[in-house]
Amino acid sequence: MSGMRVDVKVVMLGKESVGKTSLVERYVHHRFLVGPYQNTIGAAFVAKQIQVGEKCITLGIWDTAGSERYEAMSRMYYRGARAAVVCYDLTDKRSFERASFWVKELKTNEELCQIYLCGTKKDLIANDRHLRQIDYHDAQDFAEEIGAQHFETSSKTGNNIDELFQKIGEDYMSSEMELMPAEEPGVDLNQKKNSYFYSCCLSN
Amino acid sequence: MSRRTERRGIHVDQSDLLCKKGCGYYGNAAWQGLCSKCWREEYQQVRQKQIQDDWALAEKLQREEEAAYASIQGAQSQSHSAAATSQQPQAHASLTPFSKFEEKKTNEKTRKVTTVKKFFSPSSRTAAKKESQEGKTPSPSIGRDAGFDTDQVSKDFMDFLKNLQKPGRDIHKQCRAFLISLSNKKHDLGADELSECVQDFYQNLADRLIGHFKVSSESVEQVMDQVEKYIMTRLYKSVFCPETTDDEKKDLATQNRIRALHWVTIQMLCVSFDEEIPEVSENVVKAITDIIEMDSKRVPRDKLGCITRCSKHIFSAIRITKKEPASADDFLPALIYIVLKANPPRLQSNIQYITRFCIPSRLMTGEDGYYFTNLCCAAAFIEKLDAQSLNLSPEEFERYMSGQASSRFSSSNGDVTDSASGSDAMPSNPVLVQLNRNLDMLSDLSTRQEALNEAAAKLQADLLSWTENVKREVNDILERYPLQVPSRTVSAIDTNNIENNLPPPLTPEVFAG
Ligand SMILES: Nc1nc2c(ncn2[C@@H]2O[C@H](COP(=O)(O)OP(=O)(O)O)[C@@H](O)[C@H]2O)c(=O)[nH]1
Ligand SMILES: [Mg+2]
Ligand SMILES: [Zn+2]
Repeated sequence: MSGMRVDVKVVMLGKESVGKTSLVERYVHHRFLVGPYQNTIGAAFVAKQIQVGEKCITLGIWDTAGSERYEAMSRMYYRGARAAVVCYDLTDKRSFERASFWVKELKTNEELCQIYLCGTKKDLIANDRHLRQIDYHDAQDFAEEIGAQHFETSSKTGNNIDELFQKIGEDYMSSEMELMPAEEPGVDLNQKKNSYFYSCCLSN
Repeated sequence: MSRRTERRGIHVDQSDLLCKKGCGYYGNAAWQGLCSKCWREEYQQVRQKQIQDDWALAEKLQREEEAAYASIQGAQSQSHSAAATSQQPQAHASLTPFSKFEEKKTNEKTRKVTTVKKFFSPSSRTAAKKESQEGKTPSPSIGRDAGFDTDQVSKDFMDFLKNLQKPGRDIHKQCRAFLISLSNKKHDLGADELSECVQDFYQNLADRLIGHFKVSSESVEQVMDQVEKYIMTRLYKSVFCPETTDDEKKDLATQNRIRALHWVTIQMLCVSFDEEIPEVSENVVKAITDIIEMDSKRVPRDKLGCITRCSKHIFSAIRITKKEPASADDFLPALIYIVLKANPPRLQSNIQYITRFCIPSRLMTGEDGYYFTNLCCAAAFIEKLDAQSLNLSPEEFERYMSGQASSRFSSSNGDVTDSASGSDAMPSNPVLVQLNRNLDMLSDLSTRQEALNEAAAKLQADLLSWTENVKREVNDILERYPLQVPSRTVSAIDTNNIENNLPPPLTPEVFAG
């Protein structure tokens, strides 16, 4: 299991209790648990295979500890991530402020990382409109400004969650195409900085 | 985490400035804290040894390649034992440069000769034995502890490559050339440069397999695992915690730090372990064992395997305690707790080594990488840990650090069973209860022993003064009643007056001394 090949590293970021773990749990196990142990469901790392066009790729989803105690260390978690799901709670203004903090971090430190801004707990707003604290259009404008995708999801109903991760897979595939132009069969592409590789074949 | 800038203190201990060899001269950071003289001695020894290692490695690789070609060519037709015996003479012939090397060295009358002897003699001995024993496996062992392992790894690698046909031969050639080129250069390279070389090699080899040989990406991953194992088993000794870095210093710092934090409890870290459940404490012990075992592995992937196993045990322990699967929020604090309990040997060196030499994809994306990242995070947390990270007041934290306070308080319910003992409450953990009882007994024992010692000293003093007193008394009496010896003349007068039937008068006996 630990040897499982993973194509894309997806990291979950956001303030404690915004619903990161629930999001992963819903996506991977199609369930939402309520009760005294809500914030302990799910596993910390999950590998999930998805179909993108004709290709099958594996997402490696990294959940992170939300407690502020560990905030200083979070940089280690998003290193090398190709996608970051930055979560905020639609009913909690402060969580959106935290989200923009994460966005800035990612922008400066992880160029290759595509950002997915994700407003959670949408079902709560559907029940009571007054609970909404972050306007959809404000968040949408912010997302456009930083070149991020924007989603509003509910882990309780499952709304928009498959779409979010499917989009992550699609974006990854198209960025891979851009990075690696179609391979020309039979041509050796390795003539770059292989000082050790070829020069050493001649020694001895 | 390797990029973290170190916090510099202003206070410098005088002893930090002196040469680490204790010769009395001042040391220099550039010389690993040694003075120039000690550094030169040290460095030359290390370098000498590395040159010898490289010699051995180059020789060994040569033999292996010949052996590999022989067995690849003859694999189909020849039986295993036949192939084995055909390699025998080569193994012998290739030993000549060793003995030459040894001869040359004996001429120098330095103490290094013994090192050289020690290094080479087991190898020649094994080879000599091999010659006489027909039909044994022809692996020419270096004859050190690691020798057998390394040989086994090489053999496995060859077996693996044989199945790959043409790419297999190419991979072998690339690996061999890489090892030789690196062994020529590694003395001049820093740790980061070495890491870059190895990483470039991985990258180029993988690209070549995909681009040139059209190997599928799954197979490439398999091949790369074997390549990593082969390369890193060989490089381990010279690139793990190398002299050019201060990895070792960091290891010691971390070790001391963890020791100083012995008082940190499960409760302070908010870890969901109930160690009173036997199954939980079993998993905790296994997790500790796994993380300690990491240091004994040589291949980065095997080290990662230890971390992953440790993590799985932690997940089990949490799941059993909470009756729910664990999340990232439970896992990280639990891992921190396990690291504090285990104090894993050479933690920083191991983290650095894995970071530098592991196949990058494994480290960046996969499950192993996730747990490894958490371990790095745990190490960083421990390093920076302060009052706030444990929800303690700065004063409390200081008291714990200075050993004035002890964390012997009850866990969840906080019920006080014995407040008369002086501490806030008795610990709930039965092991701790026993420990405290033993501590109390020990301190009781030590006061009693002290009393005993005092009494013994008093007795001795008494004995001495008693003899003194007796002497003094005797002298007093002797002075007061001096010995009076009646004179002979007086007795002579008496004899005249007394009848003959009277006994003769007593004459004082004279004692010698
Ligand atoms: N109604 C509702 N509650 C949610 C949703 N997502 C999460 N929660 C609740 O929010 C709390 C925190 O969720 P959790 O996933 O542990 O947050 P994390 O700390 O970001 O991992 C839990 O009580 C969840 O039940 C959602 O979509 N709708
Ligand atoms: Mg969570
Ligand atoms: Zn010195």
